[in-house]
Amino acid sequence: MGLIQRTVESAGIATISISLSREITQKVCPPRAVFTGLPLGHPLGFPGQASLQLRVLRLLLKQLEEIKAAGTLIELDLTSDHGTPGSLGAGGFD
Amino acid sequence: MNKPLLGFRKTKDRWVARLLTRFPFIFRRWAQRADILRFDQSPWTELSKALNQCRIALITTGGVHLKSQPPFDMLDPAGDPSFREIPAHIPAGELAITHNYYDHSDADKDVNIVFPVERVKDLKGSGDIGSVNDRHYSFMGHITGPHLKTLTAETAPRVAAELKKDAVDIVILTPA
Repeated sequence: MGLIQRTVESAGIATISISLSREITQKVCPPRAVFTGLPLGHPLGFPGQASLQLRVLRLLLKQLEEIKAAGTLIELDLTSDHGTPGSLGAGGFD
Repeated sequence: MNKPLLGFRKTKDRWVARLLTRFPFIFRRWAQRADILRFDQSPWTELSKALNQCRIALITTGGVHLKSQPPFDMLDPAGDPSFREIPAHIPAGELAITHNYYDHSDADKDVNIVFPVERVKDLKGSGDIGSVNDRHYSFMGHITGPHLKTLTAETAPRVAAELKKDAVDIVILTPA
């Protein structure tokens, strides 16, 4: 995904992405990314949790305004307040 | 590839995806060792408007497509570098996910967790953003080998050009 992000940013559009892996994001070095700790397949949280999905989007927009250096990866932890997970189960986070 | 082999591979890929989702430390180890294109620097475009004046589009790599569109190619082990254009007004019920390399059982229940097509409309309604672009885009992740060049030299630039043509100010990218 970082490769697509780099291409869109190069075309003159400001971009921000959710990172599901710090390791991969650090290698690809997209312009702006936010790692939330949410698991694979759940970049915006869990089914039916519109408020969490909106919260993630608003966090992205806030970071889009605040990040001033290319290649910034912001690390947050949204895993503690996600409410009831979907099919992932309680063992989904480490 | 014959049918039994294809079926075996599909089952194997889905079990691996489930395993990586349930046990993040296995995914982290894979990510640390994965042979991924490396860059030391990043391109940069300054955000030049207030958010409430910006037009936003989404790009996901979650394998989302309209039920009426051809699904992504799951037979090619190097992935599928093509993209699908998703009209922004489409009801979530008309979307499907074809992607064997992550566990999308939750996203099948609510596509917004990988492709927040309804949530960006909420952001427009609340005045957080200026407008939602008429179209979003979807790719499939897990693109490797020869398809990386197709992605970086052909399909991703085509999507970027279309978004530029639409005067999009911000693109939010969501993986899966």
